[in-house]
Amino acid sequence: MRIAVCGKGGSGKSMISGALARNLAMRGHTVVAVDADPNPNLGISLGVARETVETMKPILNALLDAGHTHNDPRPLAEDLLDHYSVDAPDGIRLVATGKIERPSDACLCCGSHNTTRQFFGELADTERVVVADLEAGLNDLIWAKPGAEDVVLAVSEGSEKSVEIARRAVVVAEELGVTRIIGVANRSLSVEDAARVAAALGTTEMFRVPEDPAVEHADQLGVAPMDSDPGSPAMVAVSELADLIVKQ
Amino acid sequence: MDDAEREARRIRRESWAAENLGRQAAVMEDLAGRADDTLGWLALDRQAGSYLRHLATWKRSKGFTGINDMLDAHQGRLQDWQGQAAAATAETAGVDPGEVAAARAQLGLRLAVIGKGGAGKTVISSTIARLLARQGRNVLVADMDVNPGLSYSIGLGNADVALPLEVLEENPGAAYGWQLRTGLLPREVVEKHTVTGPDGVRVTGLGKIGSEDKHEAKRTVVALIQVLLGFGEPAWDVIGDLEAGPTTPFERYHAFSEDVVVVTGPAWRSAMTARRLLPMVGEGRTTTIVGNRFRDEPDHPGLAPKVRIPFDPDVAEAERLGLSPIDECPDSPTIKAIEELAALFTSTEVRA
Repeated sequence: MRIAVCGKGGSGKSMISGALARNLAMRGHTVVAVDADPNPNLGISLGVARETVETMKPILNALLDAGHTHNDPRPLAEDLLDHYSVDAPDGIRLVATGKIERPSDACLCCGSHNTTRQFFGELADTERVVVADLEAGLNDLIWAKPGAEDVVLAVSEGSEKSVEIARRAVVVAEELGVTRIIGVANRSLSVEDAARVAAALGTTEMFRVPEDPAVEHADQLGVAPMDSDPGSPAMVAVSELADLIVKQ
Repeated sequence: MDDAEREARRIRRESWAAENLGRQAAVMEDLAGRADDTLGWLALDRQAGSYLRHLATWKRSKGFTGINDMLDAHQGRLQDWQGQAAAATAETAGVDPGEVAAARAQLGLRLAVIGKGGAGKTVISSTIARLLARQGRNVLVADMDVNPGLSYSIGLGNADVALPLEVLEENPGAAYGWQLRTGLLPREVVEKHTVTGPDGVRVTGLGKIGSEDKHEAKRTVVALIQVLLGFGEPAWDVIGDLEAGPTTPFERYHAFSEDVVVVTGPAWRSAMTARRLLPMVGEGRTTTIVGNRFRDEPDHPGLAPKVRIPFDPDVAEAERLGLSPIDECPDSPTIKAIEELAALFTSTEVRA
């Protein structure tokens, strides 16, 4: 199973991705977490040490450093995973696809998106659960190309901008043929507000994750809320979201 | 892509680039022809500087080696224009140094706002734009994100502010296959083809992903860069609200900018993002770190903000509704702090 998580910057994609991956791993699934953001930071929400997150080498950058060119045969996803993943709690393997490090990396964004597409694509037919935390906005969703067998989470906090981007994500995911799109009203202040987000997204499945000071506090420290306060309301909600996703 | 295809693509790219040098020369000639005072000369100098910065990225690129001679010649012409401007300015300075200083202070801003997604780039960009316009300045603000956002914070709801189709044309050598229509000067685009928002702010931007028109976003990318990079009008402020994180390649998207605001929030990963972004800003630009939505959290080590913008639930409520904070809560401490930030760039003191 592959789960692609998308939404506006700051909507909580990484928090949801990280906590979801942890919950699925704790239920016995073999989980690969893919950080597709060219500004990789999913590791924080998984509970990986800050220094590791700050310095870990994404696939694309590692291949470029090794002198790899587009004429060389591309290593298999399994090999890439073995070489370039870092260990996260609960047996999760975390891998980042690409990172833009210098202004001269003018074309790295295409490379990064391509790597995401290839890597995400090659992980389609495995027994693992793949949780992919996509770049802010919708661009990466088009690149990652989830399909009919995949799950897309359209994450939104309550602001009109965030809702509009998540609404567009739903449209794009539908056009890609994704049949299971779950809207997530994150940092939700009230049930009524989540209903407003739900109405705008129009997905058949909708999930509410409440606003939670514990998450904010963890974010400030750069630690995973799953570690600092696993019983907090948002973490309980993501645990229920994990159940909802794997139930079918 | 086989070798023949790659070669054909390279030729298309180079012929597009060569044509683009001609466009830049047209912009320079237009500015030079109208330069009849010190401010005009300073604008000419600045425009040549912007194009030279941009040209340096092309010269470093492997993609344009076939037109190296043209790039060199263009560099020479830009330097000539700079020389002309410098001579004219020096002459005035010899007679009346105060006049040059006064003209320099009148030069509008070229400001880019960057940071992690959700840090508050858009609220800050649009509030600065509104505040400057209220001081009677001419302001252009550009939404450089293919995801919606700026139109809400500027006070235009979900209006489409993208560069319209009529200013675009297809060109197989341009990235994504489209560019600014031939013969159209960037200043004409700003005058005639931008949306006028509250307080008279001119608004433009990229097309959006997920729109009914599937190609809208890609079509506008090159043209918007051409407009911002070639908009040399001296008495205009230009503010670019960049996409989240480091994705939009800096050298192209923010080539127009001279001042860069890096927005950080209280979250640790927002500081990590700022640490990654700072080395990319590039030489010759001032960098201003801003802390946004802080309550009582400490500053990030090594990233002490020049201005600390406090969290205000009223601003969060305006955001929830998709409205402009400066309209909804004009007296908010958030707005006051952004005023302070804007003043850093508009102080009448002569800037180096």
